[in-house]
Amino acid sequence: MSAVHDKISNDTSLSSVLRQLPRNLWSSVFRHPLPSSELGQAQTSFSNFFLHIHPVKVNRHTLKPTYTLGLGLMSFFLFVILTVTGVLLMFYYVPSTDQAYDRMLDLRGSVAFGTFLRNMHRWAAHGMVIVVFLHMCRVFFTGSYKKPREFNWVIGVLLLLLTLFSSFTGYLLPWDQLAFWAITVGATIATYAPFIGQKIQFLLLGDNVVGQEALLRFYVLHVVVLPLLMSLLIAIHFWRIRKDGGLSRPPEAEVAPGASEIAVKLVSPPAGKQSFGFMGLVRGPFVKVGNVPDNTVFSWPHLLTAELFVFVITLAAVLVVSLLFHAPLEEPVNALHPPNPAKAPWYFLGLQELVSYSAFWGGVGIPALEVLLLLLVPYLDRSPHGVGRWFAKERLLANTLFLTFALFNVGLIVIGTLFRGPNWEFVTPW
Amino acid sequence: MKLALAIASLIVFAVHGVVFYDQFFHKWERYQTAYFDQARSQARSELERAEMEARRPRIEQILVTNFGAARVDRCTTCHIASDDPRFSGLSHPLKTHPYSTALGDINQAGRWVRRHKFNDFGCTICHDGQGRGLTEYYAHGEDHYWPEPLIGYTVQHTWKKEYQKFLKGKEYMQANCAQCHTEENFAGTPLIAKGRRLFFEKNCYGCHRIEGISDGTLGPELTEAGKKFKIDYLWESIVDPRAGMATSFMPKFRLTEDEVKALVIFLKSRKGINLTETSLALFRARLNQDSAPPAAMSQPSLPAPSLNLVARGKELVEQRACAACHKIGDKDGGIAPDLSFEGAIKDEPWLLEHFKNPRALIPDSIMPAFRFSQADFEAMTAYLISLKAPTPPASPAEIFKLFCARCHGEKGDGQGPVALYVDPAPRDLTKAAFMNSKPRERFVKSIQEGVPGTSMAAWQNVLSESQIRALVDYIFTAMVKERGRELKARNLPEQNPVPSSPQSIARGEQTYLARCTGCHGRKADGKGPNSLDIVPRPRNLRNSPFIQSISDRRMIESILYGIQGTAMPPWIDYGMSQKDAGDLVNYIRSLTQASGRRQLRAGR
Repeated sequence: MSAVHDKISNDTSLSSVLRQLPRNLWSSVFRHPLPSSELGQAQTSFSNFFLHIHPVKVNRHTLKPTYTLGLGLMSFFLFVILTVTGVLLMFYYVPSTDQAYDRMLDLRGSVAFGTFLRNMHRWAAHGMVIVVFLHMCRVFFTGSYKKPREFNWVIGVLLLLLTLFSSFTGYLLPWDQLAFWAITVGATIATYAPFIGQKIQFLLLGDNVVGQEALLRFYVLHVVVLPLLMSLLIAIHFWRIRKDGGLSRPPEAEVAPGASEIAVKLVSPPAGKQSFGFMGLVRGPFVKVGNVPDNTVFSWPHLLTAELFVFVITLAAVLVVSLLFHAPLEEPVNALHPPNPAKAPWYFLGLQELVSYSAFWGGVGIPALEVLLLLLVPYLDRSPHGVGRWFAKERLLANTLFLTFALFNVGLIVIGTLFRGPNWEFVTPW
Repeated sequence: MKLALAIASLIVFAVHGVVFYDQFFHKWERYQTAYFDQARSQARSELERAEMEARRPRIEQILVTNFGAARVDRCTTCHIASDDPRFSGLSHPLKTHPYSTALGDINQAGRWVRRHKFNDFGCTICHDGQGRGLTEYYAHGEDHYWPEPLIGYTVQHTWKKEYQKFLKGKEYMQANCAQCHTEENFAGTPLIAKGRRLFFEKNCYGCHRIEGISDGTLGPELTEAGKKFKIDYLWESIVDPRAGMATSFMPKFRLTEDEVKALVIFLKSRKGINLTETSLALFRARLNQDSAPPAAMSQPSLPAPSLNLVARGKELVEQRACAACHKIGDKDGGIAPDLSFEGAIKDEPWLLEHFKNPRALIPDSIMPAFRFSQADFEAMTAYLISLKAPTPPASPAEIFKLFCARCHGEKGDGQGPVALYVDPAPRDLTKAAFMNSKPRERFVKSIQEGVPGTSMAAWQNVLSESQIRALVDYIFTAMVKERGRELKARNLPEQNPVPSSPQSIARGEQTYLARCTGCHGRKADGKGPNSLDIVPRPRNLRNSPFIQSISDRRMIESILYGIQGTAMPPWIDYGMSQKDAGDLVNYIRSLTQASGRRQLRAGR
């Protein structure tokens, strides 16, 4: 193949150059043609910028849809959708209390695809909060945070917090009643921290109330600071997946024998070229090449098809939801007329529910404890057993505790969202 | 997985198709194309025809910068023929906006010239609606989140069905006319003028404040009512005040549909700052207002003076809608005491002073201090004095029903129809623990002479002593029911044993702050943190007419031995001495002397 390549590039007559132009362009961008051999599959993954984050080969277990449910990828693709739609929305948005709401009306009324963009951004944001949370549950229930993946769990928890904060900062931007009062309530929850609560709120809002300063700060956080931080952490999160030995899976011995032993056929490398390395054959944090039972498949096309599948599913879901439901836009801000009840964004309604019992414990104590516990999970649970299986028996206690934690928070959010009416009194939604 | 992938991809493409279709086939484009076609066929010159030929659908908009915040009105995107006189016969949206001399349009030799040119004024300044919207749903404000739907045309689906039919009609637009045409009697806004008149006639101004017009404090401020509320809410709040807030004590006024409409339009026109005002003008007006009451307030439209003072007073009382709260004859507002026999239970100086400042005589009264002229007050007093009680019925039961039940309730349980609005609340006469702890003479005296500082009137001019004694007996047999023990007079001094002095008052204050604030409150106004859970409510110790009317002995007895049937405990059980009680009495009396002086000042 490369011999043909050489022959073409040696012919320098004009007509030949022109004739070969498309192919030359193509091959300068994509170093390899669509792979037809295993070597090609390996080379493709290895030399393409966008693909080189993948290992050349992945464990079969990693590709089992019932193991990961694709939740991590889904979170990432939602982040990508949010970035793209967000950038497009930025072309129309002005973070000014005078103009923001009018811009929303323009988006809805006269900007091409404006409504749809806003719907997509809104629902993808809500979706991301849910999916990131579910991803965390998946990782816990499969014991995937255990050594050597402790730190990646910590990064994951930070990413969850950043997701929540991104969604929270974006909530204010439409500058309607929903936004204004949700942020007012949310920012008030911050004041319940002892000693520094007021300062935190002032730092966040740039004022004692939600106003122009708050809008500008939230905007900058939402479109610059938080996405950059998240991108960085996502990159580290991905990088560590590979350095920690790929996705978690049961220890090799547990895998039924017989599925492996498909040795990679070595095509003799062309003279002068180094032999390609099996960088992808990573089990554990270090690269091992040897005659261990091989339970892996090539990333191209197996992993890529799976990823494409998750992407299309995610995109389709976001599109359908955006077509069916419009992102809410309530009255323009009226700082003198709070709705009753004034509710925080739904993912903070669990906190608001707790705050209704005790301002300090609901607003600061319990959430801080929860975050601290989440961060410490891999350092508290040092038992190496039960990794790579859903609800492993050895992890009954840990899983029960986490399930209680998750249900507790979800339950509070459900109560806060559906069962709280005027004056935060108990109501039934039907 | 391949099938699923294919289906998902199909969905992605299908959604794109729908979205693109929506984006490129707008309804307004069809309207505009229809307009171009018709205008082309009606074109009188080749040039005009060519012009129409060349026009392509596009979003039309008017930028209005002359009136307040800049407006963007894209209404003419659909209503593209609104300024084209040839389309007057067509239906919306391709219809010419009507011309009318009432709008100031001028007909010059068959050609109409608009007074309010659309290029200068836009559309939403008169019509409301959402100028930036390009679909009917959003532009006309059918979206119930939009605060200003097309006024008089669009009703939102959240509005109550029963009011929706009243809320249509172009007369509602007068509220927007008045944003520039602020003259009180501007010919184009007769309903604003009518609403303003009703606002005074029905005494709305007594409770509601509108900056520059009135300064009532009982009800919500209405200065920006037109900005804050939609017309359905205004309508409902007038015809059924309790629909929005269950605790509202605003009366249901007897208003005709036209009157309600005029009031709604008047209130809708109150938007705080109107388009002719600058913030400087407002500031200047506010500065001047501090020294003088709003001009409009002291001169509500008056009926012509008549020679007969009583007849004039009657006229005033009827016109000022006193019966919106009070009962006079067969008119009953259901909120305030019965005035049908006011002449028999009150005297002229009391009525006159009460008119000027109700709270000087009944400190917790909710009656507003209306700013009528002295002559009006005198006439109204004369009329009320002329109202005498009927001959009392024979049986005490009927007497109770006629005179007492409005406050104390049919069963004497203090839950009469107006009890909620009377402060201090009427006594619960069925509470045996209290009733049996006091000598009957005290009840006889209360009925005879009334209780100062409360709504309890003196009945001695209506009922004879024997009738009153019979009434008290009736109350004890029919309402108290339980027989109490024989009361022994306690050994207490008639006068406060501790002479009043700054030291004594200071000691009393210390005791008060330590023992009494939980119920009576730090300000001694009866509104301590526990007061809401206590019935009867703790006494307002700043009620000077009441405090001045009771003896030292009664106060010391109440403090040391408590008041049975209430939350007031016997403090003697907690180690309080007569001397401590004496200090407390001195302290409490010092409060009312001070506040009495303050109230007199306020009344003047």
